Amino acid sequence: MASPPLLARRLAFVLGKGGVGKTTVTAALALGLADAGHRTLLIEVGSEQRSSALFTTTPSLGGEPAQVRPGLFSLSIDVERSIEEYLAAQLKVRPLVELMVRSRAFHAVAQAAPGLAELVTLGKIWDLATLVRGDTPVWDRLVVDCPATGHGIALLDVAGRIGELSGSGPIRDQAQKIEQVIHHPAATGIVVVAQPEELAVSEALEAIDTLRSRDLPVAAAVMNSVAPSAFTSGDEPALAAVAADASADAASRAAAGAALASLRRSEHDAAETMALAGGSGVPVATLPLVPQLSPGSGGLELLVAALVVDPAIRGAA
Amino acid sequence: MTDRLDLVGALSGRRVVVVAGAGGVGKTTVSAALALGLAARGARVAVVTIDPARRLAAALGIADLGDTPHRVDPARVHDAGIALVGSLDALQLDPRATFDRLVARHAPDDAARERILANRIYRHLSGTVAGAQEFMAVERLYELVDSGEYDAVVLDTPPARNALDFLDAPERMTRFIEGRGLRLLLGPRVGVGRLGWRALHAGGSMVMSALERLTGAELLGEITEFLQSFDGMYQGFSDRAASVHALLTSNSTRFVVVTGPRPEPSAEAAALWRRLETDGYPLGALVVNRVHDQPGGGEAQPLDLARRLTQAGAGDPAGLAARATTALDEARARALADRHEIASLIGPLGGPPLVTIPALDDDPVEVAGLARVTRELQGT
Repeated sequence: MASPPLLARRLAFVLGKGGVGKTTVTAALALGLADAGHRTLLIEVGSEQRSSALFTTTPSLGGEPAQVRPGLFSLSIDVERSIEEYLAAQLKVRPLVELMVRSRAFHAVAQAAPGLAELVTLGKIWDLATLVRGDTPVWDRLVVDCPATGHGIALLDVAGRIGELSGSGPIRDQAQKIEQVIHHPAATGIVVVAQPEELAVSEALEAIDTLRSRDLPVAAAVMNSVAPSAFTSGDEPALAAVAADASADAASRAAAGAALASLRRSEHDAAETMALAGGSGVPVATLPLVPQLSPGSGGLELLVAALVVDPAIRGAA
Repeated sequence: MTDRLDLVGALSGRRVVVVAGAGGVGKTTVSAALALGLAARGARVAVVTIDPARRLAAALGIADLGDTPHRVDPARVHDAGIALVGSLDALQLDPRATFDRLVARHAPDDAARERILANRIYRHLSGTVAGAQEFMAVERLYELVDSGEYDAVVLDTPPARNALDFLDAPERMTRFIEGRGLRLLLGPRVGVGRLGWRALHAGGSMVMSALERLTGAELLGEITEFLQSFDGMYQGFSDRAASVHALLTSNSTRFVVVTGPRPEPSAEAAALWRRLETDGYPLGALVVNRVHDQPGGGEAQPLDLARRLTQAGAGDPAGLAARATTALDEARARALADRHEIASLIGPLGGPPLVTIPALDDDPVEVAGLARVTRELQGT
């Protein structure tokens, strides 16, 4: 493959259905990049800051990036506020900006204008990605926790959709500028997160199809919460015999049963992972199910360790 | 085990069952299983899914789940031990088709309808206006109830980052369509001139020209046309939103909140439950899905597992026994953690009606698995 592995791309977008652990994967990826010595910015879109539950600090909303770990900063993009910033930059006349922000007409148009909110969000991300101090970029890597799949695709594809609506003006110009970067597989990579579960896998496959059809660079998929198992199919006959043996003590039967359940779960998860890899054709990284993710539990660090060595993320050696 | 709630029985006779909760907790499965249970008790039931649930559709014997209801073949579920006394139809929400029908119903005339349906802004709308999908979900629900063809309609709700979005969507959507301030400002351009635009004209034109600089004249023109074309439909939309709200707060409706035994969805479920209670939506039950069963043997350790595994022909019985014992310890810890999670969820809610569904070895997407979830929901 000609495209560089995800870890080598400056801008990563993490996408997935609600509940699959998108925020966790974003945090693990960002932390892995920071640990590797890259000055990394984790960006959350929307008002909820879920990643703050994974780190000990609480980032400030819409303000300056807050440091959460050495080399790792986090920032939450508030759409309304970004629209105001965008207006201020475009219109340059302060009273006019204030008039606009207060005007219901503006808010109605902002809601109806296809993709204005997404474009402004993406514009903000683009500004951060291109921010330089002296000659060096302020951020080596940016990792974006996208809204849930549908809205996430809308965010990434906004430049294309704006293009469908003919016309001119600063919005269109900015869309074209951003589109070049977002669609560039050397600079940008999209990661689609799934869980070993039918709905999550089929939605991930659909998302990958949609992203591809719009020429958006899907770098990898992540199968999150894969149950680890200490058993192989060779263990099955003996375990099944003991689990069904009425003469055995309850705890022995339960132990054999728990082992069988663990084996079945891992076989199931492996089948879902195969379905994701086979159906999408993108490299799939797997992350283990970790019982605890709260700060200090070491759960997030386990995921980081698993993620950064996965060939799907770091590239084939 | 405590007394088990028969949720299907408790919901029998209701015309609407709304299944809500965070993403990833199994709402679709619970919706389908509840619908199956209600149909088994004689009701004519429709279940509306939001996600493309292909294997669920396949399990129900429906090749192409779409906007039109498909009848589930009773023979399919009969094999899984459930007799469909009533009937079960399944469909998947198509927001676009629903929105098109809504426009067709409320457009003042054919020309207005065609103008809206052809407008590019309208065609982008379902993806851009916050809450459009949620709004269309309740609209579809209302259509089905209104058709008189069903005794009960079970609605799976859209996956939302925040499950509360679902409740706010209809109002946000009506507010958007209303766009009254905008129409006043646009007045001089689009001919709604009677509304005293003169007073607003100075401020309005400045805003309009700033908007034009931002979007370009063409895009602004289309947006203007779009908003203008909704002019004559606002009353229809707002009446409909009021009817939907009346239905959802009536005694004909029950909300079922689904969660998993994990902190994040449980926090959302608790917030949703409180919100529903505060706003007067009738609550059915809290369903905790995928709860790990307590393995057998209490706290006892296996007595002679290695010997039994030897007898059963295991290659490395001592090693396998050790690994199986670890698996047992982990399974017990998981079951205990789940019980704690459930206790800390329901305690602060004052002990709501509760159903727990055990974690199955496989996704309940085969019809037998679905029937099993139905039986859990019946407390049998």
